[in-house]
Amino acid sequence: MLPVLVGIPLLLIKFNTAKKIITIFQGFMVAASVLNFLYIKENGEVIQNVANWPNYIGVALRADLLAGSMVMLTTIIFMSMILFNTKKDFSDNMFLFLFTALEGLIIGIFLSNDLFNIFVLIEVATVIISILIMYKRDSRSIYDGILYLMINVVAMAFFLFGVGMVYKTVGVIDLYGLKEKIALLSGPESMILPYTFMITAISLKAALMPLFSWLPKAHGTPSAPSIISAVLSGLYVKNGIYLFIRIQDVFASQIDTSAMFIYMGLLTAVIGFLLAVVQDDIKLILAYSTVSQIGLIMMAVNLGDERAYWGGLYHVFNHAVFKSTLFLSAGVIVDHYKTRDACKIRGVYDQMPVISIVTIFAILGIIGAPFFNGSVSKYLISFGLTEFIGELGILIVNLGTVTIFVRFTEIFFGKSDLKKPSVDIYSTGVIVFLGILCFLGGIFGQVIISFLFNVSFDVEFASYIQKTASFIATLFLGYGLYYGFIKKINIAKFLQKHELTFNGVCTTIAIFFIFTLAYVRITH
Amino acid sequence: MEFINGENISIVLFFVGVYGLIARRNIVKSIISLGILQVAIILYFISANSEAGIVPPIGDLSSAAAVADPLPQALMITDIVIGMGVTAASLTMFIHMYHRYGSTNWLKVKRKRMK
Repeated sequence: MLPVLVGIPLLLIKFNTAKKIITIFQGFMVAASVLNFLYIKENGEVIQNVANWPNYIGVALRADLLAGSMVMLTTIIFMSMILFNTKKDFSDNMFLFLFTALEGLIIGIFLSNDLFNIFVLIEVATVIISILIMYKRDSRSIYDGILYLMINVVAMAFFLFGVGMVYKTVGVIDLYGLKEKIALLSGPESMILPYTFMITAISLKAALMPLFSWLPKAHGTPSAPSIISAVLSGLYVKNGIYLFIRIQDVFASQIDTSAMFIYMGLLTAVIGFLLAVVQDDIKLILAYSTVSQIGLIMMAVNLGDERAYWGGLYHVFNHAVFKSTLFLSAGVIVDHYKTRDACKIRGVYDQMPVISIVTIFAILGIIGAPFFNGSVSKYLISFGLTEFIGELGILIVNLGTVTIFVRFTEIFFGKSDLKKPSVDIYSTGVIVFLGILCFLGGIFGQVIISFLFNVSFDVEFASYIQKTASFIATLFLGYGLYYGFIKKINIAKFLQKHELTFNGVCTTIAIFFIFTLAYVRITH
Repeated sequence: MEFINGENISIVLFFVGVYGLIARRNIVKSIISLGILQVAIILYFISANSEAGIVPPIGDLSSAAAVADPLPQALMITDIVIGMGVTAASLTMFIHMYHRYGSTNWLKVKRKRMK
């Protein structure tokens, strides 16, 4: 709540003082969330009932270890974003207000413990985000904005319908209460329909196949300020995954669909990187790569192996860090070069060496280079895949990710005729900070995991070496694949042309719903 | 006649709304279908556990046999407000888009956007 309350009076204050107050306030939020997290580690979960209603009846805020760590991630990233934006000229009071309101909402979604609260917060966040992604007033993005708004509202309508059915049968909508009551039900029949409604909605928020087409538009739209794309890719889709974990947990005693979601995750990851390689616009490349990574995380979380599960969650954190770095640096590059076309941008290393190096850090992180954070999480995820399809799948996904970034790194080489840009200390500083976090997250991976999640794993040295070898092999393969194969074939134009209209998206929502319903019916 | 009660009508309305979203290419009709979806959900919540002859949960309740459940009614007030906000936002964006692209057809707007 605090971020929203502070944001409102700031509308009235003069602009310069407002910026300083927000920065200080943001630091305060970071400190508060870290303290909160440490408190939870000591004392177990914290449940705070709003207005002191007894448990399960009123609205409760719950902060367990997972939620607490997510909140910490949120505040740190928002802090970085606000620092990044200090010199930008479009961030007036209204923007800061909306941005801090968004932060309050995202934290609220992580902390809330009952379904209706989640619904309200997501709806408000949807409206705020659609305003924010159109903030720079590029007229092309009005289409993206309205598409984002309407698709998400439709998804939330499905969600609310599911909540209504659950309420009718069980009588509580608090997550803990639901879990207890559902375990008491005699069979899953009455829960099949509401589960399907809710999972369809959450799959859309988490951008699974085939419901992800809103994501590249929202994240890569021309008028979205880079910090908004970074926050969306880094945090908001993680909200979707977080809710997915919670809802699966609530219904776990009756309905178990992990097998289906493993395949959905794999499919998402593959299609994500296929579409990413053929894009021209650097922000769209990053957005589709987000889809691909979400597929990977979805696979990891559903595998059932404990190491894979925590590997997937750690990958959530890693992905937030490196995607933010990439989006921020992409924003800086686009501002300087005045174009977003990856074929035209060349010579970034020449012009902006510091940012290039940090971006390379982030890229190494996302493709899982040894010593960077991506490798720790991917290493843990690979433990869960015992059957051949799984191993092959993850190899293909890694290959795809490498190929995407081979394309991305083309922008570094060559020369460009623009003059050197002026160095904006805030933006560069923030990007460097996040890039270094990528590196630290790799070296200290085990320490961080045990700190955040209270579980510890040993990374065996021998298999790490083996991973390094396979990584280098993948790197070469990806390089060869991209230059030898994809550049020659002109699939790019073909794949770029096919976009779903709004009606198409609603049709896919309906098809996904029916498919899930059939699947759950058949397996239960 | 027991089939015609609030719940079943709301389910029918919900699917009417979904059909409108899928099958109609006019943007204003899509926004109207969104409104239909939201109304269907509100109706479902309120009529979910109700029988004939229940009274509103306000005032002197000692003489009443069955009282309506107040929780969904409170939740639905919030939802009506949210629905209003979302409809207002989407209509504003639609007006903007109409001035920019000159068409109220999703396909035409998409084509113009993708050029």
